[in-house]
This record gives sequence, structure tokens and C-alpha cells, in this order.
Amino acid sequence: MKLFPVDPLQEAAESMGALGDKGLSRRDFMKFCTGMAALLALPASFIPKIAEALGGKKPYLVWLEFQDCCGNTEALLRASKPTVGDIVLDILSVDYHETIMAPAGKQAEKSLMDVVNNQKGKYLVVVEGSIPMKDGGVYCCIGGRSAVDIAREVCGNALATIAVGTCAAYGGIPAALPNPTGAVSVKEAVPGATVINLPGCPVNAENITACIVHYLTFGSLPNTDKLGRPYFAYGKRIHDNCERRAHFDAGQFVRQWGDEGHRQGWCLYEMGCKGPETFKNCPTIKYNEGTSWPVQAGHGCIGCAEPNFWDTMTPFYRRLPKVPGVSIESTADKVGAGLAAATAAGLVIHGIGRAISPKKEE
Amino acid sequence: MAKLVIDPITRIEGHLRIEAKVEGGKVVDAWSSSTMFRGIEIILKGRDPRDAWAFTQRI
Repeated sequence: MKLFPVDPLQEAAESMGALGDKGLSRRDFMKFCTGMAALLALPASFIPKIAEALGGKKPYLVWLEFQDCCGNTEALLRASKPTVGDIVLDILSVDYHETIMAPAGKQAEKSLMDVVNNQKGKYLVVVEGSIPMKDGGVYCCIGGRSAVDIAREVCGNALATIAVGTCAAYGGIPAALPNPTGAVSVKEAVPGATVINLPGCPVNAENITACIVHYLTFGSLPNTDKLGRPYFAYGKRIHDNCERRAHFDAGQFVRQWGDEGHRQGWCLYEMGCKGPETFKNCPTIKYNEGTSWPVQAGHGCIGCAEPNFWDTMTPFYRRLPKVPGVSIESTADKVGAGLAAATAAGLVIHGIGRAISPKKEE
Repeated sequence: MAKLVIDPITRIEGHLRIEAKVEGGKVVDAWSSSTMFRGIEIILKGRDPRDAWAFTQRI
């Protein structure tokens, strides 16, 4: 049976030519397109459009690393199946990425500047890592130029910049108090640039891919919230989609590492889980190609997709003072019991939860 | 005598600069610089020790 009257999937798969050589079947490709449509919350009718877009011309992309740990690169490249990593590298012309490129030194710089000069206003930039502003930007230099200087030129002349990971998006760990190097986000360092933020420590690779696929399909980056994060990935609270949510509602909490509740996979709220204050799609897309994510592995969320989480979400093992919408005196037991007793009240709590912004702990 | 500078060194994680002094086709001296600093040790001071793994893991 044919899924679509015309079969653009087949056409696109064929136009990608080398796919077969890389062990990527039409089925893999179709699965990828379907997955992307689902992640971007697009109806199935968009799947052929995505497939068609992926078969088109390759956009130029440069990947800059500043004050980073390479974790987002690792997250993208560690794909074991021919899915995200391979497809992204096949559909993009990645002209500069220090961790994976062959040229070094002057040749590397030339690769970067060729794109900036010849594709002005037409290329995409991915930035990983924060940008130090203190002392003239000396705390991160590449090829003798400061990170801020490079970012201004490369991001300033780009079509758009994708800030991957919490460091590039909001300053991240280098900007944690006392921020010794004056680290800032890409948007703060280059206010004039078009930036979309994909925070996370690291970001889920699928979200990077989905952003790029969205751009290829629609010619624009996805809609974002006031923190510059795309709604498709950061529109929902972790707590509201958590696989352990039923245990929270039932008042079943882990009280100590390795206790009976921990072994049973109960709610980690009492152990300091920051899921109630964190917005990201981890519970659905997970990490390492859907293998697992922190809560599934038995550890609470540390709130890594939120700005300044190294300061606002620490100590990581201290219970959040209150769950949004619940009075501060309530214990986790009362929250659970209350919600179990009155579903209507629970719905109200979920409804207003999103209006509560992250707050400092007491 | 020629001085050779390779910056950035690619295919590694992190930022590295190598300078080398070449005489008669041989490297006679060389210097390496790590060209990025974040101050993780400074950031860690005074924090809950149970959180340290999460910070140092990001080096």
C-alpha cells in the first residue's frame, strides 16, 4: 500500500544518491522523516514535504566551539544507527567544525572565512559554549582571535545561529557564580544576530536536527518562547510528561537512594528532582537515540535546560521548596494525596504551573 | 630559523595552540597553549560537595 498518492519519499531518497552506500535504506529515511514530523508536532501530511526538503540543496553550516566541553558535539555524533548524525552530515555542508574537520591552523581558519565571505547572509551557524567578555575576551581565543570577535563576525553575517547547549544559550557553567571569565550567551555577545536557543546539558541531538529540518522544510526556524527556545522542544514541563508522574500523584516517593521506592521506580521529587521547574522534551525523546534519560536511569532532573541552573537549581539534592501551585507548607505527601483525591484540583495546578517562573531556592 | 604556529589544532576536544621553532628541517623547541579557560575550580568553591561531580563532569 502506498502511503501517499505521489511518492516524494522515494524520489527524495533517490536524489540523496549516496544514502544506500552509507547503509541508509528508504525505510530508515522514511522513519527519520516521520520521527521529525512527530517531534516538530506536524501532521503526517508534512512528512513528504520534509522528505522533499531533505533531498534539496545543502545549506552551508559552520559549527563554532567556544567555552565548551564538546558535550553537544558528542551528543550529535554518538548516533549508533544511521539516523541523526549521518543524515545531518549528509544533508548539510558542514564546512567548519574543529572537532571533526581535517584541516588545522590556517587552513581551518580559511575554511571558516570562505563560508563567511562567500555565503554572507545565507549560512547557518551552530555555536557550542559560552563567550567570555572579561579582560578583553582573552579567556577563549582561536587562531589568535577572541571568541567574541569571531562570534560577532561569523554569527553577525549568518542567516541564523543555533545556540546549542545551555552554555551557548544562557552562559551555562562558565557563567555560574562567580563567573570568573565574564561568560555570556551568544545572544548577549552578539545582540544583533538571529539566535535560536537549544539549551540542555547536553542538548538532545534530535532537537538540533529538528531545528535544521524545520529550516530546510519551511525556510524558517521554529517559533520560540521568551527565552528563545522552540516550543516544540521546550513547551512542556518535564514533570507533566514524566514517566514517574503517576507515583507523584499517588504520593509514592523515593526517600533514600536504594530504598524500596527507588527500586520500584517511584517519584524522585523528594530527592531533589527539578522536573517541576524545567521545560524540555526529555521524557519523550530521551537521550542516545531514545535509550534513556536521567529520571528513567533513577536520578532526578537537575534542570539543565533552564537559564542559570548551576546557581538556581543547586544544591541538586535539595528538594524544591514547593511545587508550583501548591502552598509552601505542603509536603510531598500532601501534594500526592491531594492530587489523588481531587483530579480537578490537579488540572488547575497543571494549568497554572506554566505561569510560574523559576525561582531562587530558600 | 622558522616559527611554526598551528592554531586551532583540530580533531580534538577543546582548544589547543602549538608553536614550534624549526631549524634545518627539525623542530628544536615547541610550546603548547590551552587557549580556553573557564575557572571550574573557582566556580566549585563553597558549593555542596554532592554537586561536584556534575560540575567536574563538564570539563
